[in-house]
Amino acid sequence: MAGILSYDFVLHAVEAAFLASITCGFIGAYIVARRMVFISGGITHASFGGIGLAYFLGLNPIFGAAVFSILSAFGIRLVSKQTDIREDSAIGILWSFGMAVGIIFIYLTPGYAPNLMSYLFGSILTVTPTDLAMMGILAIVTATVFLFYYRTILFISFDEEYARSHNAPVETFNYLMLTLVALVIVINIRVAGIILVISYLTIPQSTANLFVNDLKKIIILSMIISFAGSLTGLFLSYYWNIPSGATIIFVFVLIFMMARVIVYLRSHKKKNSSVLER
Amino acid sequence: MEKLLQLDNVTAGYDNGIVLRDVSMTVQDQDFIGVIGPNGGGKTTLIKLILGLIKPISGTVQRFDKQEGSFIGYLPQQSQIDRKFPITVQDIVLSGLMSAGGMLNRYSAKDKNQASDLLTQMGIGHLARRTAAELSGGQLQRVFICRALISSPKLLILDEPNTFVDNRFEHEMYELLQQFNERMAIMIISHDVGTISYFVKTIACVNTYLHYHPSNIITEEQLAGYNCPLQIITHGDVPHTVLQKHDHSHDHDHDHGAVSTHETGHKHD
Repeated sequence: MAGILSYDFVLHAVEAAFLASITCGFIGAYIVARRMVFISGGITHASFGGIGLAYFLGLNPIFGAAVFSILSAFGIRLVSKQTDIREDSAIGILWSFGMAVGIIFIYLTPGYAPNLMSYLFGSILTVTPTDLAMMGILAIVTATVFLFYYRTILFISFDEEYARSHNAPVETFNYLMLTLVALVIVINIRVAGIILVISYLTIPQSTANLFVNDLKKIIILSMIISFAGSLTGLFLSYYWNIPSGATIIFVFVLIFMMARVIVYLRSHKKKNSSVLER
Repeated sequence: MEKLLQLDNVTAGYDNGIVLRDVSMTVQDQDFIGVIGPNGGGKTTLIKLILGLIKPISGTVQRFDKQEGSFIGYLPQQSQIDRKFPITVQDIVLSGLMSAGGMLNRYSAKDKNQASDLLTQMGIGHLARRTAAELSGGQLQRVFICRALISSPKLLILDEPNTFVDNRFEHEMYELLQQFNERMAIMIISHDVGTISYFVKTIACVNTYLHYHPSNIITEEQLAGYNCPLQIITHGDVPHTVLQKHDHSHDHDHDHGAVSTHETGHKHD
């Protein structure tokens, strides 16, 4: 155990898993509570367009992804509010459009795009100190927003109309949160990849939601589940020599199913014993 | 009498058409108004106008609130709420203090005590730590009434409060509302004319136009005259007064300044 931790890349992977668990704990709980999983999937895939464009222009792909994801997040909201296009349709359109743009620009870029697979599937074992620094900054920003504005986030998410009738800055907050969602997604694409990042934002949170039903508690418990699952997945992938991202998600789902069975058995037992008491 | 709210010749609607036309009404601090009307008649639009959630196309809505925010307490329709949202009962009640409690701060012990006092008064003090998903529709309704009351509003608006509520609590609730009415004006939306007319002081019928009826006794004929296709139903021990016919020689529904006297564009003529 101590042996593999002596490798730098393993240490970096553990740090990345920790930071991903923090940012995704906050933002994942938010999107699960607000039923924004599909829009988050759309933002994630649309960001691929930014990665392709940045490759073509010779810029940092994460920068391109950030711009594309924020623009698509705002775009989905504006289009579904201002026009008669429904939100899920707008998401479907931007989702596939982003992917298409990304594929075209990568095709147009001369030479081979070596990291392309790592953006699609993630590669937690190759995160750099720069990646970690960005993840760290985002973790601090996200934690600060939630510490200072937790109640505002909770109240606006729960009942937007009531908040609006009390003159709360609902729109500003929605856009601020949408920006955070987009940034958290983009930063964690390095860890889990475009195809798998949604798992970090939904599976640990849904697992936590089986046991607790208070946003604050879901945030904390999902962080713990997320970090524990990531470590387990990392070590399994290391020993069996299989892709780390996919293994982590596999572990997440296993934890979720085990939790579901535990909850089922517990409620079953309660029901049976209450029948006996009568 | 203190004037709380005044709507003047308000027309309002959405992209797909006008919902309210030329509505004028005044709400005073002792009022207890029952707002009735058919589905799609504009009851909810009227409430949204008063809450400032939508802007009128023409006409004005004035709120005479000295302090910001806590002026109106509001009970939304249950269908608007995501009942699986992870939030505790105590937090729901405290969210009524959104503006008063400040955005940044945690709530004080005083606010928390007030929340639990209200919950106790509503007979659900023991549920404070539970979450929304664990409550029945009637319990949740009481939680939302607590949320509306915690900011000590001058005007309490209830949008269809009797849907999903068990009959036993419904009666209790109306009695509580009469107590609250000593401290605040109340507007209650319902399509159950029979029950509310027993409790309210005045009735406003909304069906594109607004007809104000300055008493709680309303007859089928009057409803027909208002073009308000509702049926009057009486409930058990509740009030035959509902169906009581009264002398209608004085034209009181037209002298209140609340009824449209502009006949232009009146499509029902």
